[in-house]
Amino acid sequence: MRDPPRRSKGHQPYFFDDPAIDQLHAAVLALTSELGVAFDRIDTLERLLERDEKFVRANIDKFVADPPAAEQRAARRADLIGRVLRPFVQYREDLLERARHTRQESKP
Amino acid sequence: MTGFFRHSMQPEVNHDERARQEFVASFRGHLSGNVMPGTYAVYASRLEPAFRAQHGRTPADQDEVREVMTHDSYYQFWSAMQRRSQEMMWESVIDPTERQLPQLIQRAKALSRKSLPSGGKGTLRLNPKLSIPNYHTAADIHLQPGGYHSDFTADDVAAGVVYDKGINIYMGGALGPENNLMGDSLLAYVRERHAGFQPRRILDIGCAIGNSTLVWGRAFPKAKLHGIDVGAPVLRYAHARAQAMGVAAHFSQQNAESTDFDSASFDLIVSHITLHETSRSALVRILRECHRLLKPGGLSLHLEIPRGRTAIEKFMHNWESYNNNETFARFMTDIDLKAEALKAGFLSDQTRVVEFTPGMDVSQMNYAENFSWKILAATR
Repeated sequence: MRDPPRRSKGHQPYFFDDPAIDQLHAAVLALTSELGVAFDRIDTLERLLERDEKFVRANIDKFVADPPAAEQRAARRADLIGRVLRPFVQYREDLLERARHTRQESKP
Repeated sequence: MTGFFRHSMQPEVNHDERARQEFVASFRGHLSGNVMPGTYAVYASRLEPAFRAQHGRTPADQDEVREVMTHDSYYQFWSAMQRRSQEMMWESVIDPTERQLPQLIQRAKALSRKSLPSGGKGTLRLNPKLSIPNYHTAADIHLQPGGYHSDFTADDVAAGVVYDKGINIYMGGALGPENNLMGDSLLAYVRERHAGFQPRRILDIGCAIGNSTLVWGRAFPKAKLHGIDVGAPVLRYAHARAQAMGVAAHFSQQNAESTDFDSASFDLIVSHITLHETSRSALVRILRECHRLLKPGGLSLHLEIPRGRTAIEKFMHNWESYNNNETFARFMTDIDLKAEALKAGFLSDQTRVVEFTPGMDVSQMNYAENFSWKILAATR
């Protein structure tokens, strides 16, 4: 048995002029994902404790969120993603705003 | 949000593995819904006007759009996040698969021996001597590590297990719990345009894990159903999955450019977003082989993704081609599929390319505002 690969074969593109910026984005994304995992785990622990049973660690992996709980967790995840991406959304808004000004100024 | 039909060929996920899969599905939804559309806005309001000011005209084609777009920092940001989310998506599925691979391989073997409630039984025929075409070996399609064809242990099924859950996350569940959307779309086309058609022998080419193949087995339970692909691990999984889901299908490891089936042996040949993963020379050879395999009056249907109308839409669609290892897809943009079918021996009045909208949610596959499938339909 060979160890299966963890990365794909083929062209490895970089998008920014400095590849270090690509790496930084990848790291921010990985950290955000792990924070999302930690939020879910905290939520699971809270819900298990609320059940008023003796806490058993193995129940963490058995826990399945019911639909209302799943919805709350999804909302929290969306909020986390929104917060992390907010600077980029604001940057886009600035770009579009500047383009609007330029168009107005160039009108005769 | 990513409703998924769980059967015995899918691994259990522990708490954190599930959370990672849910995160990456949410993140990709956020990118496609909130971030990607911004690239269109940035292009329309800044990049296109700047190009026009300099050249006195709008960018003529996707290559000129590419020239201006790749230097834009907002596009760079979206691209970096999109690419990395694709890699994270595979990682989130590979973790639980690797952890349980020996059990999954044993389950596949047990399922292979099982007779189905219908009384039928599926089969699997592998060919270890098959030469894997370079459009699989040169780059791992969709960045799935190892591609669809690589075995890393005896009787490996990992590539299939990973693909099934991976495409479920990729589309945010929009393919349906059994990843049926492509098969259902093409079946809807048959029901609408060929009502009463009752094929007795059906072939699905480039079937991978057989998610679309089984749609045809359920729609035409009396037909003999074949699926072919070049990848052994995806076919082992396809076979076990079909057995687990109770549909008798016959999978074999073959290259669709040249199969060992008899001439004039199928009433219906289908493919589901397969052609754009091949190559320019393979495309016409595959169509020629379809022509050979069809009975007189038989029908071949190839479902494809339209790759945009405007230069910017074409550029955005082909992001996947440059950055998600769909190497051939960007050339498909300007290939006339009908002309290729005519080169392969089909007649002009028996061949058409149709845009078809089955009315399903495909928002995450979409890089443009309106989505419809493109279908190459050719009758022998």
